[in-house]
Amino acid sequence: MRPLSPVLASLANVFRIPITRAPVRPTLTNEILSSTSTPTSPRSFSTTSALSKRKESGYRGDRRILLIRYFLHHPLTPRPLRFSRTRFLRHWTIHRAWNLYQANQRRAHELELQRQWQSMQAACEELRTGAGDGGKLFRKSMIKTGVFRDLVPIEYARLQTEGPAREGWNFEWKRD
Amino acid sequence: MAHCERASKPLLQCLQKTYTKALPGLQLQSTRAFQSTALAREEAQAEAKSVPFHKAPDPALVTSPQLERRLLRQGIAPIGSRRRRAALQNASNIPFEQLPYQCFQEARKVLVADREEKLRDITAMSEKIARLQAVPTEEAGGEQVKKSKLRAMELHLEHLKILADINDPLVKKKFEDGQGDLSKPIYRYLADRKWREYRRKILVQRITQMKVIPDVLPHCDPTVDTKLYFNRNQIQPGEFVNAQVSTTAPKLDVQLFEGGEKLVTIAVVDSDVPNVEKDGFDFKMHYLAVNVPISATATKVDLSQLSTDSQVVLPWLPPVAQKGSPYHRLSLFILEQKDSKPLDFAAVKAKETERDNLLPRTLQARYHLKAIGAHLFRSQWDETTYEVMKQIGFPEADMELRRKRVEPLPYKRRNPSTFR
Repeated sequence: MRPLSPVLASLANVFRIPITRAPVRPTLTNEILSSTSTPTSPRSFSTTSALSKRKESGYRGDRRILLIRYFLHHPLTPRPLRFSRTRFLRHWTIHRAWNLYQANQRRAHELELQRQWQSMQAACEELRTGAGDGGKLFRKSMIKTGVFRDLVPIEYARLQTEGPAREGWNFEWKRD
Repeated sequence: MAHCERASKPLLQCLQKTYTKALPGLQLQSTRAFQSTALAREEAQAEAKSVPFHKAPDPALVTSPQLERRLLRQGIAPIGSRRRRAALQNASNIPFEQLPYQCFQEARKVLVADREEKLRDITAMSEKIARLQAVPTEEAGGEQVKKSKLRAMELHLEHLKILADINDPLVKKKFEDGQGDLSKPIYRYLADRKWREYRRKILVQRITQMKVIPDVLPHCDPTVDTKLYFNRNQIQPGEFVNAQVSTTAPKLDVQLFEGGEKLVTIAVVDSDVPNVEKDGFDFKMHYLAVNVPISATATKVDLSQLSTDSQVVLPWLPPVAQKGSPYHRLSLFILEQKDSKPLDFAAVKAKETERDNLLPRTLQARYHLKAIGAHLFRSQWDETTYEVMKQIGFPEADMELRRKRVEPLPYKRRNPSTFR
């Protein structure tokens, strides 16, 4: 691409001619003529500018659209999912049943949690009022100091067994 | 004929094999024991067997061109493609809910169990309502408490009725085919949902953008679907209507989405009659009818067919727009009468005799009406308006309205000494 000569550039500036990518002289004059003769040409709704629409501009279209077309019509792209009427209805039935089943499960889980929480609360209340010590036991049990520091004894990190065997392996054992 | 039969043969053979294998294993249970459609179909089949096929061809099964032509001559179009009909000829006609697909059948079991549970809920709730109604008001905790409790329980009952049927694929299919029985709550619910998805939005947008809502009535929340027809052509809300077309009264299709019957008042009002003296616009009532019964199943209202001695207060006046006047908005309102009680027709007729400046707001306040539906069309000067004006004896038919020339303000005037 050859830059404009300073004289041409200043002239273009005076006459308010937009400096284009490839300002070869004949196309420039063509552009002036067309812009002066038809100032407002009715254009359809398009994102392509008028200059890039011209044949010699070398414009290859919107890249995004090109890519969408490429991947949509690629032979490896699976075909769209199309169902017949009854098949769609069957699909819908299964979908609804699955949703219903999941909703029921969620609801049951929530109710179970609620039940557990309430029974715990009832037990605490019983401890507070029914133990006959003025709620001392309850208050003691509600003290939370060290609950995050003094955790479970380390032995509980392992599955508790009767104890480690005195001899490591019973070599005498045979299957009957 | 031969081609398509040959083409669909292998497919059908394999289908039939699976059917014969799968069918005895199926339990033949019907979800809805109280429906008689299955029985009717069996009877029809038995009937068809007695007559040979070429004598009375079935439009759903006919494949040979001769028989098709004969049917067409009788005025019955064959259903579907010829290939489809050929396939259906050999297919064992299994009803939809017994199709032998395992996942589908398992899903149906889940849905059927849910429906059973919902039906139990419904009976329990209706019993509960009956019990509460039997309790005297003082024990129930006062008038207001009992009323609100009953109302909440009835709403819950309606909701349960919808929940019982919403998962039924056959209900969905019937509704999509437009064969839904709108006397049942589930179909009304589906129709309402469909209306609210698109058509109601359009209507509300038109009546608010064209400012019908603050101009004609202060507020309107449409709950009935209203369609307007002039000479069998449906008019979309806000469309321009030719003056010749609107000389006859329109037909309405008012779809109510609740059970029961309602008495409504129908008013068509023009809110843009130019008034030159006061440099503004007046109202004009083009139609007024009271005590029009509508329900979910009886939806058609022909404004010209309503009885003149018990319903129509002001008969249809064709809308015309003078040349040069801006377009006229003719808004139609469906106004619900309070408690669906009939208005006293003679009193209304005696009172509302003047068309000019009869405001819908006045009507609303005077008769305790509530707007439940709206529609809108527009009229402007066109080539047929003049004839219509002469027909109805419109005064000043050959007058054109012109805008007055507004003198520009002094500082906006072109001033040659400073204009450069």
